[in-house]
Amino acid sequence: MSADYDYDIGIIGGGPAGSTAASYLAKAGLTVAVFEAETFPREHVGESLVPATTPVLIEIGAMDKVEAAGFPHKYGAAWTSAEDRNIDHLGFQGLDHDFRAAEVLFSERDQAGVDRDYTFHVDRGRFDQILLQHAESLGAKVYHGVRVNRVDFTDRDRPVIQAKIGNQSVGVPVRMVVDASGRRTMMGSQLKVKVPDPVFNQYAVHTWFDNFDRKALAVNKKQADYIFIHFLPLTDTWVWQIPITDTITSIGVVTQKSRFKESKGDLEAFFWDSVGSRPELLDALKNADRVKPFKSEGDYSYGLTKVADDSLVMIGDAARFVDPIFSSGVSVALNSARLASTDIIAAFHAGDFRKDRFEGYVNTLRRGVSNWYEFISIYYRLNILFTAFVQDPRYRLDVLKMLQGDVYDDEPKALAAMREIVEAVEADPTHLWHKYLGTLKAPTAAPGF
Amino acid sequence: MTPDRDTLIGQLIEFIQEQLLAEPTSQGLDPDTPLLEWGILNSINTAKLLTFIREELGVSVPPTHLTGGNFADLNSIADLLITLTEAAA
Repeated sequence: MSADYDYDIGIIGGGPAGSTAASYLAKAGLTVAVFEAETFPREHVGESLVPATTPVLIEIGAMDKVEAAGFPHKYGAAWTSAEDRNIDHLGFQGLDHDFRAAEVLFSERDQAGVDRDYTFHVDRGRFDQILLQHAESLGAKVYHGVRVNRVDFTDRDRPVIQAKIGNQSVGVPVRMVVDASGRRTMMGSQLKVKVPDPVFNQYAVHTWFDNFDRKALAVNKKQADYIFIHFLPLTDTWVWQIPITDTITSIGVVTQKSRFKESKGDLEAFFWDSVGSRPELLDALKNADRVKPFKSEGDYSYGLTKVADDSLVMIGDAARFVDPIFSSGVSVALNSARLASTDIIAAFHAGDFRKDRFEGYVNTLRRGVSNWYEFISIYYRLNILFTAFVQDPRYRLDVLKMLQGDVYDDEPKALAAMREIVEAVEADPTHLWHKYLGTLKAPTAAPGF
Repeated sequence: MTPDRDTLIGQLIEFIQEQLLAEPTSQGLDPDTPLLEWGILNSINTAKLLTFIREELGVSVPPTHLTGGNFADLNSIADLLITLTEAAA
């Protein structure tokens, strides 16, 4: 039998995934330590939430604190494009704005556990701090500014977290480790189970603007507080527009890495050159004041061949990162933390933290990620199909279900219908939509774990 | 009930003549007039034709069937509509 331990669970990373897991586990009476390398608040990208976060925030008891912070409410999402070609509607109904724009309101579909018709746009510095402090208030021990370098799994039932405190390296023995290290993928790297995504090799350049006119590209001017996704007339390139406060707006350009490389690392030139392809967007941005330096995110999408092992699970971005087009990041963080915590608490009561205890988590996450991945792939492959589906009353609610982040149960039926159409369009060069196929083509929708 | 092929072609010709063409073609429309090739079925007109087919003829054409072969001329469109009607029956 193994020696003593300091905590039941050691969590690497105090972002939304880590602090949500810490909250669930501390509430259930487990002893928990969270190791956060940075001192909060710190900046983070991924500022727009989806309603699937609501039941989790309520369950861990953090919703009142999030509401009290006064983040802008997000009632829906809208997409705009520079599309001015007349595209066959092919019998799709309700294309009010042709293929130039689409929007959804979250409240159009009831969602289990969601008791309000909005979610939030958040300043992640503040949001993440609220969640971490909440975990602390529930009894989790939080080590601020303490970086974990590796985990020693010599004894697979007694992992030892190797952390750096000041100049000293200390070993903290625990019964189980939760890797919530985000895009750093601490355990994925240590165990060499991280694989880059061959398809979504993308890059993002982003910043904040003050006094940006959010209505500039909106079809319906009342929807200025939605998240906007603006497609640029450049291959596989789009812009996010996310309200952060009454006057501050986060703007980011997401593109293929190859396009970004052509700009030789000049973030500013790349940003202005890209948004310049939509003159009305360029105008609105030129009339606003940039209040942060440009930042970039690279090595974009990746998967892991394994997200659980003996005495270990990976959650949130530490388990998988696809593409942020549908604002899935924080939702996957919170929901993977929720799902993993259920298994961890059961493992705790059984006194057994071996790998097969986490099968439920792994299977559910696989299903969710697989649905997300295919949805995103189809979106890039045949963008007008998404626009047609979201506006068609026969498919709208099913697409909305995915946009709400409600992807962990069965395969949404719109996905099967979309897949069939994409296959038909790909197979037949005479198909009336063939010329609208994008260049990104996912070879498989299967997660690697 | 499977629609009569000649009636169907007659309805389609009437719709295309009256609704899609700025002025009726001098030669008139034949069942083998190459609609896509001649640009009669451009994007907008295809959308209008599909709406007509769905609302007036009661046939929903699935997106998977919207191929150049099926919309080449009135013969192929009639064949498609008859096949879809029979499959739905």
